[in-house]
Amino acid sequence: MKGPDVVWYLCVAGFLFSTGALGVLIRRSPLIVLLSLEIMLNGANLALIAFSRHFAQGDGQIFALTVMAVAASEVVVGLGLIVAIARQKLALDVDKLSTLRG
Amino acid sequence: MIAAAWICLLSPLAATLLITLGWNRLSRRGAGYLATLSVAVSFVAAIVAFAGLLGDSPNDRYHPSTLWSWLTAGQLDFGLRIVVDPLSVFMMLIVSGVGMLIVIYSIGYMDGDDEERRYFAYMALFVFSMLLLVQAGNLLILLVGWGLVGLSSYLLIGFWHDRPSAVAAAKKAFVMNAIGDATFALALFLLIQRTGSLDFEVLFTQSIGGSWAINLIALGLLGGAVAKSAQLPLQTWLPDAMEGPTPVSALIHAATMVTAGVYLIVRTAPLFEQAPRVLELAAGLGAITIVMAGLIALVQVDIKRVIAYSTMSQIGYMFLAAGLGAYPNAMFHLMTHAFFKALLFMAAGLVIHALAGEQDMRRMGGLGRLLPFTYVCFAIGSLSLAGIPPFAGFFSKDSILAAALDHGWYGELLWVAGMVGTFLTGLYAFRMLFIVFWGEPSGFVREHLVAGTDEQHKHSGEGPLSMTSTVGTLAVLTVIGGFLQFADVWTPVTNWLDPVARPLVEASGTQEAVSSILAVALGAAGVGIAWWIYGSHKSAAPRIAWAQNLLEHKFYFDEAYDFAFYRPAVFLATGLGRWIERPLVFGSVTELVKGVGLAGRDTSRLQTGLVRTYVLLIAASIVVLTVVFVAVR
Repeated sequence: MKGPDVVWYLCVAGFLFSTGALGVLIRRSPLIVLLSLEIMLNGANLALIAFSRHFAQGDGQIFALTVMAVAASEVVVGLGLIVAIARQKLALDVDKLSTLRG
Repeated sequence: MIAAAWICLLSPLAATLLITLGWNRLSRRGAGYLATLSVAVSFVAAIVAFAGLLGDSPNDRYHPSTLWSWLTAGQLDFGLRIVVDPLSVFMMLIVSGVGMLIVIYSIGYMDGDDEERRYFAYMALFVFSMLLLVQAGNLLILLVGWGLVGLSSYLLIGFWHDRPSAVAAAKKAFVMNAIGDATFALALFLLIQRTGSLDFEVLFTQSIGGSWAINLIALGLLGGAVAKSAQLPLQTWLPDAMEGPTPVSALIHAATMVTAGVYLIVRTAPLFEQAPRVLELAAGLGAITIVMAGLIALVQVDIKRVIAYSTMSQIGYMFLAAGLGAYPNAMFHLMTHAFFKALLFMAAGLVIHALAGEQDMRRMGGLGRLLPFTYVCFAIGSLSLAGIPPFAGFFSKDSILAAALDHGWYGELLWVAGMVGTFLTGLYAFRMLFIVFWGEPSGFVREHLVAGTDEQHKHSGEGPLSMTSTVGTLAVLTVIGGFLQFADVWTPVTNWLDPVARPLVEASGTQEAVSSILAVALGAAGVGIAWWIYGSHKSAAPRIAWAQNLLEHKFYFDEAYDFAFYRPAVFLATGLGRWIERPLVFGSVTELVKGVGLAGRDTSRLQTGLVRTYVLLIAASIVVLTVVFVAVR
């Protein structure tokens, strides 16, 4: 099976992950933060599948599928929370949602 | 037979549980009937076990039975184990039989009390505890029964928990007993260390070895027995225990509690016999208690306290007998004493019941004509207590005195003490009888019994059938019970107990005769003097101020214990509180609290509530960890 070397895949995966992490860190809208999280997860998925192919073993792919399932449910919960926040007429800004400060 | 023994043991426990769980669903009467039924079942089961043993040849009368392994520790294995042998069956019959009569009596006596159900639950528990004690197949189970007896006595003495004096008396009984429990338990530890077992057959067949060890073990066991049986020097709880309801006093004195000490000595006789000095000490303590309790009883004015001191004195006789190795005599006296002491208490209960709770003899008088049945029963009990033939006390007490003569000079010394005791017994028993039943009715008595025909005085009269019938039964038992054994002529009790407790002394016919005649003469002399002073008032009671004081303060035992133990303990506790606890403990705790508070406040600053800070921290940590990981590799 031909294709680029595993290193290239990892570079793309790392790029995706960093982009997502940066988004989580600097964006204030919870919606975007959630989106960025998805990007991070996809970066991790790409790395998993790349390794799976590199070592010719199916484990990584199965794991990636599991991550997708988890991501899907996480989005459901996250979006539900965001809708709930919006309904309470609270600002959609993660910096202002800091009631749990010690 | 084994099944019968288990039924005998567990039936009162079942009643306790049923009454406790049933609570309001059970009527007050129902609780009484249930308790009575359970103890009656025990009694029938005890008779079945007795009949079963009769079928065996004398040397095969030993049937242990283990339900399951109760406690296992290393090499040790204690089963939930009972044993059916002549001694345990003998005690089972007394405990369940006399116990049954007392529970029936309670139905009438406690009628109308606010907490009858609790009372009957405790009564059944008390009988169960004592049955566990006498049926135990190893010393650990015996100790469990021993502790449970202490607990139930505590609960029942303090039954009227709104009276401070009752609560104090219960506490005193419990603490005094706890001292004995502790020495008992220490003796058991030593026994385990020496023999590796607490099962009777192991303990009684091997010699312990080492004179200090066996002496310590015997002393520990004796300490337990002395506390439970209210002998010198742990006797002070018994008179105070009169704070409980009268049937409880009857149960404690006749069937379930104070006899446990005598039973323990007889049961562990093979151990005691290896420490003859300790056994002689037991006899000596018994003898001193006989005289001391008899003297104190002379000045008491509370009818129940007089009987309480007479119990101490009579248990003293049993200790004397057991200490000299006359085990069957001790057990026989235990049985007759159970009859006549229960009779005396319950007859006194009739008086107290008729007088609406009054116990002070100075306010009584002239009751003989008003309560003729009670009077006759009380007189039978008193005659038996004083050892006048043909009542039960005569047969058992005189055989103990005769046995004392067969033990060298020490025995003769004790014999003299016993004789003095007989004289005192006649004196105080009939002082009580004459004060309460003879003479003219006092104003107080008239108020309750003569004028008491209206609704307000519904307690007047001799009492309900449940009370009079049981008192009558005990009176009959007191009259005929003594003929069970007439030393030297026929001795079924001695023969029956022979496989378990073979006596060390045997009185000859002459010794029996001499003791009997002298004891009866002295007892009668006591009765005569009581009659002279209190019956016919031919002369006033002699008043010697210092002696009166000494006796009324019960030889100052309470005061001495107060001075020797209570005061120093309180002093030490206050001192420690003031000089150690407040500066050291309190101070350090405050510091600790402050430190924790500060640390918490500082830590809480880390929690910003900003998700981004958390994420940044996580990311930074991962970077740091990765760098460290790579560097270390």
